[in-house]
Amino acid sequence: MGEKLLEVKNLTIGFPEETGMRTVVDDVSFTVGYGEIVGIVGESGSGKSMTVQTIMGLKNRDAHILSGEILFNGKDLLKMSDEELSKIQGNDMSMVFQEPMTSLNPVKKIGWQVAESLKIHTSMPDDEIHGRVVEILANVGLPKPEELCQKYPHQLSGGMRQRVMIAMAMICWPKLLIADEPTTALDVTVQAQILQLLRKIHMEANTSILFISHDLNVVKEVCQKVIVMYQGKIVERGYTEEVLYHPKHDYTKHLIASIPRNKEDIREDELVMQAKDLNVYYSVKERGMFGKKENKHVLQNVNFHIRRGEILGLVGESGCGKSTLAKCIVGLNKNYTGTLDIREEHPQLVFQDPYSSLNPMKKIGWILEEPLKVHGMKDKAKRKELVSQMLTQVGLDPSYADRYPNELSGGQRQRISIGGALILNSKFIVADEPVSALDVTVQSQVLNLLLDLHRTHQLTYLFISHDLNIVRHFCNRVIVMYLGEIVEEAEVEEIYEDPKHPYTQLLFHSILTDERKLQKITDVEQSREDASANGCPFYHRCMSRSDVCREKRPERINLNPEGQDPHWVKCFKYQS
Amino acid sequence: MKYMLKKITTLIITLLLVSVVTFVAFSVIPGDPALAKLGTYATPERVEALREEMGLNKSLPERYVDWLSGAVRGDFGESYQYAGTPVSELINQRLQVTAILAVMAFIIILVISIPMGIVSARKEGTWIDVFINLFTQVTMAIPAFFLGMILTYFFGLTFKFFQPGKFVMPQENLGSCIRYLIFPAIAIAIPKIAMVVKFLRNSVLSEVKKDYVRTAYSKGNRTKKVLYIHVFQNALIPVITFIAMVAAEILAGSIVVEQVFSVTGMGRLLVTAISNRDYPIVQAVVLYITVIVIIINFIVDILYQFVDPRVRTE
Repeated sequence: MGEKLLEVKNLTIGFPEETGMRTVVDDVSFTVGYGEIVGIVGESGSGKSMTVQTIMGLKNRDAHILSGEILFNGKDLLKMSDEELSKIQGNDMSMVFQEPMTSLNPVKKIGWQVAESLKIHTSMPDDEIHGRVVEILANVGLPKPEELCQKYPHQLSGGMRQRVMIAMAMICWPKLLIADEPTTALDVTVQAQILQLLRKIHMEANTSILFISHDLNVVKEVCQKVIVMYQGKIVERGYTEEVLYHPKHDYTKHLIASIPRNKEDIREDELVMQAKDLNVYYSVKERGMFGKKENKHVLQNVNFHIRRGEILGLVGESGCGKSTLAKCIVGLNKNYTGTLDIREEHPQLVFQDPYSSLNPMKKIGWILEEPLKVHGMKDKAKRKELVSQMLTQVGLDPSYADRYPNELSGGQRQRISIGGALILNSKFIVADEPVSALDVTVQSQVLNLLLDLHRTHQLTYLFISHDLNIVRHFCNRVIVMYLGEIVEEAEVEEIYEDPKHPYTQLLFHSILTDERKLQKITDVEQSREDASANGCPFYHRCMSRSDVCREKRPERINLNPEGQDPHWVKCFKYQS
Repeated sequence: MKYMLKKITTLIITLLLVSVVTFVAFSVIPGDPALAKLGTYATPERVEALREEMGLNKSLPERYVDWLSGAVRGDFGESYQYAGTPVSELINQRLQVTAILAVMAFIIILVISIPMGIVSARKEGTWIDVFINLFTQVTMAIPAFFLGMILTYFFGLTFKFFQPGKFVMPQENLGSCIRYLIFPAIAIAIPKIAMVVKFLRNSVLSEVKKDYVRTAYSKGNRTKKVLYIHVFQNALIPVITFIAMVAAEILAGSIVVEQVFSVTGMGRLLVTAISNRDYPIVQAVVLYITVIVIIINFIVDILYQFVDPRVRTE
């Protein structure tokens, strides 16, 4: 340690524009020592990705390096010819990208793709290369590496593809590994596994890692040193603990404080919604002339309720049926059996993606007026007045009514989505990942807006999220879903302190807050086929399963029968 | 295997539908084939007798079944014009000519447009790219028959590479037949080359922006390798569909070009048959062409499996 592997000196990068050069990376200097893990934190547009892509020799053709040097092992990468550079790329220095779904070549076999770097940089015979590939695939925790070599990327899950990416980056045992948001696109449980894997690699090979992320919790978990970037500049740097617990720069303080305020408990006893034995189906048509219509059973025997004024969190991995439940509640999916009793007119949905959920051809005013028109409000002046009131309520100037969605930032658009949900005076809002597409600091603003509206309008929320830190601060009660079933349901404090279901335990131990907890996670890759028809859906991943779990589905039981707040769990462990 | 089976069933159904459409279309065209065959001065009795003989008094479905069972065996009846000559015989001779012409045009298209498209994409924005763009803009606008006239004038009349109008059937001398057909093939190919070049260029350029290309560079690949090893196969996937469409258009193009170069192929047969109201021939040629187009599409579907593993392993 200590010896410099990578040294970036006064790096300045700009894009030529009509008005002159727009600087995106401004006088950035930092070093990465041998065996060090350095994190770069910042929001989108902070210049962090541009910086590392330039180091890797992958920068955009239009970007101009205005000044500075990048010394790798003492040699300036910027002065090298393409040929010299390509001898370092993939060999001494390699990169893992954010999007595991698109970063692999879809038409090449996994084995070939992992082997490619070795073929480029060494003259090893083919059988030896194959041996190394199989070895490294096993090393990054992928089962059946021999078979895997013959597979194509689309046959793998996101987590598996990211492991393949890491294997690919590590095959030549590089001195420096650049990881650009390697876990952002993944589920929480998978995220924890990938971080664990990166640390294992660091320990075993003493590889230096340059780790880019927007997520402070992740950076805290893996990095020894951290650099905070804001608008192209480094605003703060130092040891991770030091920076996170004693931030000096205003932006860092802002970033660290970006955890939403705590909610208030305004719950009443009256129920707003109750689902009894809800089974939801989804019809999919097979492709081609003879494609059959298939009714997929997405949600199984779902029972839950929401009290007036409550904020109920719904958590689970992607594909577990969260969004299907949301659509079912607001009436977009009528293909269900069981009872769904909603005592509030027009429950409204706030969507995840603020970029595609607003019609780009219509003005904001028109978008907000539309629900009023649909519900028969003929008075134009009245509609306009309601729209400008609503804009004020969601924290925007009434003049925004004349703008188009593309003139607004992501956070502002999400405010419009919230306004659209509230304009019919609905008291019950289903929010499907409302902040996950936003930057951290914007997230907290939107969440605080939701909390303000909750208090002033006495709203009820069903809040769907995969971010367990947000759910903890935001919600009163939590339900946990796994493959279409609610496996646990309890008050937020109780479930975070003492998760009962093995899946909930896995999920909550994956939140990166505690070193000891992270060590405990052991998990296998999941797939829907794993769930046997009659047994517990979690059987194949469960650490504490027994024979009965394979044969039968557990019923839900209340672990807190005396207390006021029930704690439901579906697991045989607690049945006696 | 399941994929193949599905595709073959779809193919058979499509072929049946096409045969129904072709048959019905010619049955509803006004005019009595018997009358057409005998001429306007024939007595009503003779016409009636011929109608009986030709089976025109039967119901439409019955006639369809008769026609289809003949067609499957390659029997399309007799031509009205060349009385006594079976339609299939007339077609088979000319089909060979058109097939040679189409295959030549197709090869010319592939050999020229694929390298050109790749070069154009690789050298995006340079003078080579600009030049290729200009070339494609111009040639796309030139109709094949006009190009045919120009080629005839220069290569036929001025440089005497071939003798316009002196077409040799392949049965007589295959070598000189092919030599003659080079120029009609070029006339068909040039406008299509332009389209394929443009399409391939855009396909490569959109592939190059994808994430996996960045990954390939990060492994230490040089531009050439990234392009030929990673990008090319992916860029080809949409191009294959497009080339199949082009192949179908070659057949349509040959109809016109055969006229210009006086090539006795299917196109000429079709045009003369139409002007003579020789319906059995027209019907058969139309069916042939549609069947060929459908079969080309079928082959493309099969080819997809080899290029795109996502289709193969679905």
